[in-house]
Amino acid sequence: MTTRDSILAAVHAGLGGLRAEPDAIAAEAAGLLADLDAIRPRLAAPDPVDAFEIKAAALGTTIERVRHLDDVPAAVGRYLAAQGLPPAAAVQQTAALTALSWEGIAQDMATAPDQPAAVGLARLGIAESGSIVIHSATDSPILLAFLPLHHIVVLHASSVVAHLEDYARLLDGGSQPRNAILITGPSGTTDIEGSYVRGAHGPGFVHVIIVNDRSRA
Amino acid sequence: MSTASGPRVGLFVTCLVDAMRPQIGFAALQLLEEAGCRVEVPRQQTCCGQPAWNSGDAADAASIARQVIAAFEPYDYLVAPSGSCAGTITHYPELLARDPVWGPRAAALAAKTHEVLSFLVDVLGYTPTGLRLDASATYHDSCSGLRELGVHDQPRALLAAVEGLELRPLEGDNVCCGFGGTFCVKYPAISNAIITEKAEAIDATGADLLLAGDLGCLMNMAGKLHRRGSKVRCYHTIEIIAGGGAGPAIGETP
Amino acid sequence: MTAQDQTSFKARAGAALADTTLKLAIDRTTGTAERKRAAALAGFPEFEAARARGAAIKDHVIANLDHYLETFERNATAAGAKVHWAATAEEACDIVVRLCREADAKHVTRSKSMLGEEIHLPDALATAGIERVETDLAEHIIQLAGEHPSHIIWPAMHRTREQVAVLFNADHKPPPDAEDPASMVQSARRVLREKFLSADVGISGANFLVADTGATCTVTNEGNAELTTTPPRVHIVTAGIEKLVPTTAHAFALLRLLVRSATGGELTQYTTFHCGPKRPGDADGPEEMHIVLVDNGRSRMIKDEFREMLRCIRCGACMNHCVVYRQIGGHAYGGTYPGPMGAVLTPVLDGLKQSRDLPFACTMNGRCAEVCPVRIPLPTLLRAWRVRSWEEGLEKAPMRAGLGLWATLARRPGLYRLASAIAVRTLRVLGRSGWIRSLPLAGGWTEHRDLPAPAGGTFMERYKAERAKGDSR
Ligand code: SF4
Repeated sequence: MTTRDSILAAVHAGLGGLRAEPDAIAAEAAGLLADLDAIRPRLAAPDPVDAFEIKAAALGTTIERVRHLDDVPAAVGRYLAAQGLPPAAAVQQTAALTALSWEGIAQDMATAPDQPAAVGLARLGIAESGSIVIHSATDSPILLAFLPLHHIVVLHASSVVAHLEDYARLLDGGSQPRNAILITGPSGTTDIEGSYVRGAHGPGFVHVIIVNDRSRA
Repeated sequence: MSTASGPRVGLFVTCLVDAMRPQIGFAALQLLEEAGCRVEVPRQQTCCGQPAWNSGDAADAASIARQVIAAFEPYDYLVAPSGSCAGTITHYPELLARDPVWGPRAAALAAKTHEVLSFLVDVLGYTPTGLRLDASATYHDSCSGLRELGVHDQPRALLAAVEGLELRPLEGDNVCCGFGGTFCVKYPAISNAIITEKAEAIDATGADLLLAGDLGCLMNMAGKLHRRGSKVRCYHTIEIIAGGGAGPAIGETP
Repeated sequence: MTAQDQTSFKARAGAALADTTLKLAIDRTTGTAERKRAAALAGFPEFEAARARGAAIKDHVIANLDHYLETFERNATAAGAKVHWAATAEEACDIVVRLCREADAKHVTRSKSMLGEEIHLPDALATAGIERVETDLAEHIIQLAGEHPSHIIWPAMHRTREQVAVLFNADHKPPPDAEDPASMVQSARRVLREKFLSADVGISGANFLVADTGATCTVTNEGNAELTTTPPRVHIVTAGIEKLVPTTAHAFALLRLLVRSATGGELTQYTTFHCGPKRPGDADGPEEMHIVLVDNGRSRMIKDEFREMLRCIRCGACMNHCVVYRQIGGHAYGGTYPGPMGAVLTPVLDGLKQSRDLPFACTMNGRCAEVCPVRIPLPTLLRAWRVRSWEEGLEKAPMRAGLGLWATLARRPGLYRLASAIAVRTLRVLGRSGWIRSLPLAGGWTEHRDLPAPAGGTFMERYKAERAKGDSR
C-alpha cells in the first residue's frame, strides 16, 4: 500500500468505515453557510463603497475618489508629490491602465526590489474588511504588490462587493487564478513585543484610488 | 425554619467546608431556609470526587459519584456552597456516560444541581434585607462557578443589597488564582507565581475584604495574603449575605 | 528532540519562573493580544454564533475527511500541483529534502509554519546542508538566536525588544539605525529582501486547504509568504491533513474567527490562495508547486478522545489567556506547541510518557475553552490525558497511594467522618493562632502560603449536635 492509501485507510477506519455520498456531504457543507448574516459582521456603512472606505482607512490605507479612469494618472501624480516622491512609478501592464495618458509620470517598467511606487488595478474591493483583491495573470505580476514601498491601487467602485462570501462566489466555476490575494492594509508586524510596526516585507503604504464608475441610483 | 411548601433541598456541604469552615455550610442552610426551602443534609455525603477525577482516577471518581447520586436524587435540588463541587457534579453524566443505569441518573442529578448563591437568586428570587456592613470589599470570580455554572451577576446582586458595603473592582477578577486542587501542591512554584499576582491585585484594590464563592480558592488567596502580611480579610460571600461579616474571617480565631 | 527537551518540565518551568525578563516579554505580548482580541470581539456581536458554526465546519470536515482529502488531491493535481503524502514527521522531511535536492537548491526561504516546526523541518534542512532563511520576522529572530518558537503566533514573544536588538546588532550588516521596533523591522526588511529574490525554493505552510479548488491558503501580516512563494522556481507547501475546508467561503468563515482570536484584527494584511504553479503566460510565480500532506498522528486522533483537537485553527488565544503559560512561557512546555493546545497535542506527538506533566500542569480553570474560537473543550481533553496517565500507571506511587486511601474513606461516610474529625482536631492543635506556617506533608502549600487552621469542629458533627438539641426541645 502506498503512504497515500494507508493514510486514507487510517482516516476511513477512524471514521468507522462509513462514507456519505458526495452529494450529501456537499449539501451538509452548504448548510453550514446558511444564514450568513448571523455569523458575519455588518458593513460599516449602508453603501458598500463607503463601508470599504471606512474599513480601509481604519487600517491605514489612504483613499482618494476620482470620477473617471482618466483622472487616475493625475491622482497618482498628486499622491507621489504629496509623499515627496519623484514622479515615477511602475505601472501594471494591463489594458485599462496602459491606455491612460501617463504624461508627467515616468513609467518604470521593471519592478525593482525597492521600487518606490507601483500602480496596479484591483480585481475587486471587499466592503466588509476594506480589502482589495489582486489575481495573478499574464498582465498582473504578484510582485508588483509586494516589492514597492508605496502600492497605489486603482479600484472601480462597481467592483466593490459587500462580503467575503460574495468574492468567494465569484471564484466558483473554476476561475481560481494561481494566486489570489486579499490585501487588507499596508504590510505590518507585531512580532516584537506585540507592538504594531507598519511596513514589514511588503509595502508600507497602500493608497487606493476609487474610480466612481457606478451609475447613479 | 422550614416551610412545608418550599422545595426540598439536599445541602451538599463539600468536604472542605465540612472540615475547614463549617460556618459557610450553616450560612447556606440559614439562607436557604429563610428563602423558603426545606433543607436536609444527607448523611451519606463525603466529597464530590473531584480530587480523583482531576487526577485521572476515573474509577474512584465514578464510584464516589454513584454515592452522591444515590444520596441526593430524592431531593428537588442539590445545592452546594461551591461552584467547583457543584460543577463537578454537573460533570457526572460525562463520567458515567457509558453506564446505562447510572448515566441517566447522573444526568437527572446534574440538571437539578446548583451553586448556592446563583440558586438563591436565579431559582428562589431571593433578595436579602436589613443587612449592613460598613466595609469595602473586592470580589474574585472562582473559575468553575464562573465558567461551568455562569455564576457572575448573582453574588454581585446579593452583595449590592448589603448597606454600607462598597464593592471595588478587582483587576483580573476572572483570572484563576492558581489553586487548581492538586495543582497547587503538584506544581507549587507555578501556583505560587499565579497566586502572587492575584494577591498583588487584591492588595492594590485597597479593600478591607476579599470575597469569593469557593473555599479552596479562598484558602489559597487568604493563605498568600496572610503570608505577605496583607491586612485583607477573606470570607465566603454567603457568610456576608447570612449576616456573618462580624465573625472571624478565614484564619482568624474568635 | 532538542537538548532542552531532555530536562524535566519542572526544571524548565522553574528556570522560566526565575527569568524576570521572560516574564516581562510574555506580559507585554499576551497583554496586548488579550486587549486587542477583546476589542475585536466587542465589534463582532455575531462571534458566539460564528464560533458555533466554525466548530461545526471543522467537525463536518473531520467527519468526511477521506472525501475531502481525495477531493483536494484531485483538484490540486488538476491545477498542476503535485500532491505528496507523509505518514510521519520523518517522511515529510524526507520528501521536502528530496524536492529541494531535485531543484538543486542551495538556499531556501521559509515562511512561518508551525507544521514545519512540528516535523522539525529546520533541523532536517540543516542536516541536508541546505541553507534556510526564515522570512517571518519572529522566525528570523529565533533563527538568529538558535531557538524554537515559544508561541504559535508570536514565535519570538519570549524576547524583549532589547534582546532582539542585541541579536540584530550582531548579525545585520549594517546594524539597525536604532533599537526601537520600527528601526529593527526596517533592518530585517533590508537584510531579507535580497534573500527572497535569490532563493531556489520557497517553503510555506497552509492555514487552509480548499478542497473544491485545490488551493492552499496562507495568512500573514508581513507579506513574507508571498515573497517566499512567488520568486523561487519551486514552491513547497507542508500542511496537516486536518487543514481541509470544503470551499473558499468556509475558509472565510473560519478566517473571521482566526484573525480576531489571534491578533484582534479582522483579516490579516495578506490572505493568499495558492492554486498550482505558474500558468502559461503568467507574469510571475513558481514553475512547480508541491503540497506535502502530513498525517503525523492526526488520523489516530480521529478515533480517540482527542478528535475535537483536530478543530484547532492555531490562533493562540488559549495560550494568551492561560495563567500557566503566562507564568512560564512556551519553551517550558518542551514540545512544538505550547499552552493548553500544546498540552493536548504534545502527548499525541511525543508520547504521554515524555510529556506527562503537561496535562497536569493546569488548574482546569477553563479560560482556554472559553476563548477558543472553535470551542475545543480543552480541559476535558486534558482530563482525558490524565485518565490515560492513571490507567497506564504513570502516576507516581505516593500520589496513587494517597488518593487510594482518600477514595476508600470517601466511599465510607461513617469512617470518613471519623477521620476528618481527627484530622480537623490535629490541624487545630497545629494552628492555634489560626494559621499553620508549615506542615510536613503539605510542603507544596506551606512553602509559599499559610494554611488557615480549621475553624473548629466539622460541619457534620456540629449539625448533628444542633439537630439533636432541636429535637429534644
Ligand atoms: S485550541 Fe482553540 S484557542 Fe487554542 S490555538 Fe487552537 S483554535 Fe486557538
